[in-house]
This record gives sequence, structure tokens and C-alpha cells, in this order.
Amino acid sequence: MSMTMTVTKFVRLAAFSLSLAATPTMAQDLVVGLSAEPSSLDPHFHNLAPNNQLSAHIFGHLVMRAADQTLIPGLAESWRVVDPLTWEFKLRKGVTFHDGTPFTVDDVIATFERVPNVPRSPSNFSSYTRGRQITKIDDHTMRITTGVPSPLLPNDFTAVAIIPKGVKDATTEDFNARKTTNGTGPYRILDYVQGDRIVLERNDAWWGPKPHYKKVTLRVIRSEPSRVAALLAGDVDVIEAVPTTDVARLKADQRLSVFEATGSRLIYFKMEMHRSPAPFVTAKDGSRIDNPLLDRRVRLALSKAINREAIAARIMDGAARPAGQFVPDFIFGASPNLKAERFDLEGARRLLAEAGYPNGFKMTIFGPNGRYVNDTKVIEAIAQMYTRAGVDTSIETLPPANFFSRASQGADGWPEFGMYLTGWGSSTGEGSDPLRNIAASFDAANGFGQSNRSRYSNPKVDELLKKAIATMDDTERAKLLAETNDVAFADQAIIPIHYQVNIWAAKKGITVIPRVDEWTLLTGISKQ
Amino acid sequence: MTDIPLASAQISQGLPAIPKEETPFTQFRKAFFDDKVAVAGLILFSIIVALALLAPFITPQNPYDLRSVDIMDSRLSPGSKAGDGFTTWLGTDGVGRDLYSGILYGLRISLMVGALSGIIAASIGMAVGLTAAYAGGRIETILMRIVDLQLSLPAVLIALILVAALGKGVDKIIFALVVVQWAYYARTVRGTALVERRKEYVEAAQSLGLSNARVVFRHIMPNCLAPVIVIITVQTAHAIALEATLSFLGVGLPQTEPSLGVLIANGFQYMLSGKYWISFFPGLALLLTIVSINLMGDRIRDVLNPRLEK
Repeated sequence: MSMTMTVTKFVRLAAFSLSLAATPTMAQDLVVGLSAEPSSLDPHFHNLAPNNQLSAHIFGHLVMRAADQTLIPGLAESWRVVDPLTWEFKLRKGVTFHDGTPFTVDDVIATFERVPNVPRSPSNFSSYTRGRQITKIDDHTMRITTGVPSPLLPNDFTAVAIIPKGVKDATTEDFNARKTTNGTGPYRILDYVQGDRIVLERNDAWWGPKPHYKKVTLRVIRSEPSRVAALLAGDVDVIEAVPTTDVARLKADQRLSVFEATGSRLIYFKMEMHRSPAPFVTAKDGSRIDNPLLDRRVRLALSKAINREAIAARIMDGAARPAGQFVPDFIFGASPNLKAERFDLEGARRLLAEAGYPNGFKMTIFGPNGRYVNDTKVIEAIAQMYTRAGVDTSIETLPPANFFSRASQGADGWPEFGMYLTGWGSSTGEGSDPLRNIAASFDAANGFGQSNRSRYSNPKVDELLKKAIATMDDTERAKLLAETNDVAFADQAIIPIHYQVNIWAAKKGITVIPRVDEWTLLTGISKQ
Repeated sequence: MTDIPLASAQISQGLPAIPKEETPFTQFRKAFFDDKVAVAGLILFSIIVALALLAPFITPQNPYDLRSVDIMDSRLSPGSKAGDGFTTWLGTDGVGRDLYSGILYGLRISLMVGALSGIIAASIGMAVGLTAAYAGGRIETILMRIVDLQLSLPAVLIALILVAALGKGVDKIIFALVVVQWAYYARTVRGTALVERRKEYVEAAQSLGLSNARVVFRHIMPNCLAPVIVIITVQTAHAIALEATLSFLGVGLPQTEPSLGVLIANGFQYMLSGKYWISFFPGLALLLTIVSINLMGDRIRDVLNPRLEK
């Protein structure tokens, strides 16, 4: 089998070099190898990273996120709080859509009307627009009134792509057919072949600094080794999501440069904290025991038993930072008090004994295979570490789609797994998002704890969080969020493992600004 | 007509020249050992089976015991010393599993899965094929259409769907492999049984008033065994490869109890980074196993095929 693989690879490499020879690239052209493909060209159809990344090029947003996730002006020049329920946004003047029509408040209003009404949308963007009334003051000034104080409104606006008012009633099919892909963004779309490539051309009338590359081909190469091979063969100039196993080799290659940024995606364990007994947790002889994960000391022991440094070094090849809370410390809302738990095998054993499990217990931990970087290996390594600490651990990894549906709902309607590995990337780029979705008590109707499958619940966390997300003052809110984190992690609400490091590789001479949010933005790619 | 000169030749040689009557098995064994390549295959296969059976006694690590696997030993190159002091002659994989130990234990699983699924599928397939051939009529039509349906779908696809639905585990993968294999046996056995059924000895058995079951299983079945034996060897190799494929795709066996397919999959991502051994050695073991079975299988087919008589 390995033989055929190698042969396939050689054939592929040969094919790549041939195709390169056949199509001479222009000096200002760029080919980028993407790891995933947008599911649609409709910017309001599917809230998915590859879609949003493409929308940012074509359509543009009112507020944008810098590489480190701080908010920067986009189509809105500035914004301010008028009173706790009102925001005022000043729009950039002189901006035009690709077809030349000027951009005004009317387009924002039209966008907000379309967002909640996209048929068959698998996950739409209405949570960012719901309950927000736009009042036009003049063509370039608008006020937004909100039902509840909404300090995160500018963060939410980073997710809503602005379309011209003329295409308010366009269908997703219209967008996919490139009839209505008319935006204000730095690039316009030239060609779209699903499953293969997206060709973009620079919009020279864009309001921002001119991107370096005039014509860019985005090629979708899902397989990691193929993506690396394409770069090595010179078929693409830049690749995203470089597999950690190849980073050392690519760094050593004189013809290439590698760019890295610590991401905001946390890899962590969720544990059943509601039911007893917990699914797939038993005594060592397989007999039924009360859920040990309900005991904080057991959770702390399971955290201490993980050698995060070893995982980062030996499995992630350095492309991971040990984690002690939901977001890395440079993100808004992180607590300065929380550090990654130190590896302490004796401490873990002692805590287990204190909690009444001197001989440990037995469990199966679950996770996806192929959703997160090296996910299966991370789980396997942690199973080794737990087994050494006295908790006999076996693992089961499942294809991601299958895993996530069973993790949220098993055959009996409850989350199926007692303990499992998963990940969370803050979609707002700040710290309230994971707290709200994972640490807050489960209350789906009001938008709290939507991903809180472990049903962790601490009224103190809920109270602090609700106070924080209603606080308009940034400094005060950051403090409250940090405090919420302190409380949740004193409880060991989850077991954080690490933050993934996002990695790009490019041909020598090309620079890529590495982003915390994993996006590959052409405005951040240039040549010296 | 042709046997007249032969008979006269025998007569002319006299009685002592008539060889002792050979049992079919002796004939088979002689014919099999005539072929050097097949013997090589048999020797290789015997070594592989012996290594697999003796695995717990001749490996430095129990790869299923997570206590003995340490990620600090991950990706050691062949010949390095592991943390526990032993030398890893074939290197270690991405989580620190000694590949030599992993491969021997993996062979146990691969061989067991191949053999068990082959035997179960052969039994089911024979029962179905014999029933169809002997009963005829509507039963035959229904059974054979099911076989057709089964054979019209790609084996990997069916196995993939089954294992994805059932979950991981040796029992589940054996079940999936039986489901994709039984139809080959059923079809072949039916073909042979149809021919056998019209022979006089069956008529004789029937006219003696023997029960249908006795006629089918004591008289017809033994005469259908030759093609089944051939298919078993081919299908066992096929089953081992299919199990490796499923495990490679991440739906076969659990990570902590690796078969050869899991080991190969684990190393696949390291291929470009120069850590060839993680996939190469398990791949080589898989290759040798399948080749050895196929070498024997080819010879068995030649010997048992009446149309290929020398």
C-alpha cells in the first residue's frame, strides 16, 4: 500500500510540474492552495470560515479584524456609543461597488433585510442582525438601536458582508452563477469552478491600500500532503494550513518561507457534568460507578495528568501553545491569572485518591479524526497519560460529521459521550463568545450554553457573563470577562489542552501576514 | 477410446508398475510442492503466521498497553533506543509505538480478520449456493438476484458504509467483510453444484431415499469444495487488504489496537517529511502477507482446476 502511495505521489508531482510548464504565470499572478472550499458564493448563505474568507475579498464588511483580531475600520470609518441602546456608524465616503454604484447606508439596510431571509441556509447570519434597527441619518451616517445593550455590535458587524441594495432579492443561485457577486471588496471574481479553483482580479478602485497581486487563483487542495507537494513542485505560490509534520522540512528549504501565528482555536476536553453515571465511564472491572467527573478534584487530576508541553513538542511539532483558558492571553477578555496546568503525575494520582478513586477508573474518550490538527494523535497521547495516572483509557475517534452529531445527540437524545475532545475558535474574535457558548448554563432559547453539552452550570459564571456582555465600557467588560474565566476554570469547567498555531508557507520573496483567525487574506500577501 | 493404449501400456508394464492408489490429497500435495514459487509462498506465509502467533513473546512492547507506549519516544528512526531501554529496530510511529511490536500485533489482527471472515463468508456462501442449486425454481431466483445485487455494488463502498454505521471494532469489521464476501462463494458454489446435481451419484443417493440435507451436505458439498478452497485463498488476501483499506480510511479498527492498515495510515502524513519507516514497514508486512497468500492461491487454483490439467 505504501508503495502505491509513493508512486501516486510521484505521478502527481510529475503532473504538477507539467501543468506548471504548460501555463506560464504572469509576473503579478499568484496561485494560492486553500485547504477548504467555500460552499457558496452567496455571502449570507452559510456561516463557514472558507465562505467568510472569500466574502471578505469580494464584498467587504463594515468593521474588519486585523491579523491579531483587534477591530479596524472597514466600510465604516468610525463608530461610537450614543447611549447603551444606540450606536452611531459613519460610513466611508467615495466607496463604490465593482459596477461603479456608490456605497451608502441604503446598502447596509438592504443587507440587513436579506440576511435573515436566505432560503435553505444551513447556518445563517441572522444572530448578528437580529433585533438591530438601522435608522438612516444621511447617506453616510446611520444609527443602530438595539433592544439590549450590545457592546459586541462592532464585532458582530465583522461577520456581515455588505451587498448592494439592487440585489437584495437575489437568490443563492444568482450568487453562485456570479450574476450578483458585486461588492466593494479588494477583489472581484473572474471565474469559479466548484471543486477546483476560484479566480480573482484586483479591484483597483478599492478604498484601501492596493493589494500586490492583480490576478489570483485560489486552488482548493484538501489533502495535506498534496498541498505541500503542490508548493514544492512550484504549482502554487502560497499554501495555508501547513501540516505540522512538514513545517520543519519547509523551514529548512531555502526556496520557501514559513509564517506562523498562534491561533485563537482552543483544543479541549468536555466532560459530562450533569448525569450520573457518565456514558463510557466505569469502574476498572467494568461495573457501574457514579460519575467521577462530577468531582472537581477528578477533573483537576485529569488536567494535571496531561503533559501539554510533550504534546506540543512531540505531536504538534511545536505548532501548539499549551492552554489554560478559552482564549490565548492576547485576546480581549482573557484572564491574566490563568496559566496552562503543569504536568504533575503524582499530583493527579493524589487528587484521584482524595476523590475516592485511589485505583482510578476506566473510560473511553472520544474525538473527531481529521477535524483538528493531529486530533487522533493528541487523543491517543492523552489516553497514554491518563492510563499512566491510573485511569484506564481507551479511545475512539470518528469521522467528524458522525462525531459531532453523536456528541450533541446520541440515540437517547442526550449527548452520547462522557468525555471527548473538541475545539472552539472564537467567532467574534474576543473572549465572551466561548464563555457564552460553552461555560454558560444551557439555555438554548436565550442563546446561552448552546454548545454546553457537558451541562456545566455555575450561577456565578452566568451572572458575571450576563453582566459583562451588557457592559458598554471596554475596560470594564474585559475585566468582567476575565473574572468569569477565573470562576469557570476554578471549577475546571473544561480541560484546555492547547491553542493551534496557524501556519502558512510561501515561495521565497512572498510574505504572508499570519492571522490569528486562520484566514488567508490576499490583502496580506505581498512580494518584496 | 484414448484409454485403450494407456491400458495396454499398463498391462505391458506388468502389475508391479501400477502405483499405489493416491488419495486426492496426496495428489494435491505433490502437485503443489512441484512449484518452487508456491513453496516459497508457503514458507513465507508460515513464517508470518508464526511471528504473529508468537508476538507476545518476541516483542519488546505490548502496543495495546498504553502504559508501555510513551509519546516521548515518538518518531524514533529505525535502530534508536526507546525510553524503556529496548532498541526499536523498525523505528516508532507518531505516538511512540514500537513498529516491530506494532506490526506483529497488527498481523495477528489482520490474519485473524482475514481468516475468520473468509471462513464465515464461505460457510454462508456455500449454504446459500447449495440451497439455490438444489432447490431451484423461485428460491434459486431470489437468492441469486440477491447475490447479483450484492456483486453489483463495490465491496469497499458497502464495507465503508457498514463500518461507519456500526462503529469500530474487530467484530464489526469481520461482519462487514463477511457481508461483502459471501456472494462470491454463493455464486461459485451454485455453479458447481448445478453441475454436480445432475450427476448419477446424486440420483443414486436420492433414490436411496436420503434426506435432502444429507444429499446436499454429504454428497454434493464435498464435490464443490475445490473452487471454494481457491476462492478462500483469494478472498482472504482480499479481506486483509480491504480491512487495511478501511482502517486506512479511519473507519476500521480503533487507534489503540492498530492493525496494519491503521499503522500505515498513521505514517502516511509523515511521508513527505522523510519519516518513511512509519508507513513503509507496516506496508511491507502487508505486501508480503498478501503476496505469500496469493502465491499459494495461484498454485492451488492451478492444481485444483480440472481444465488446467498438464
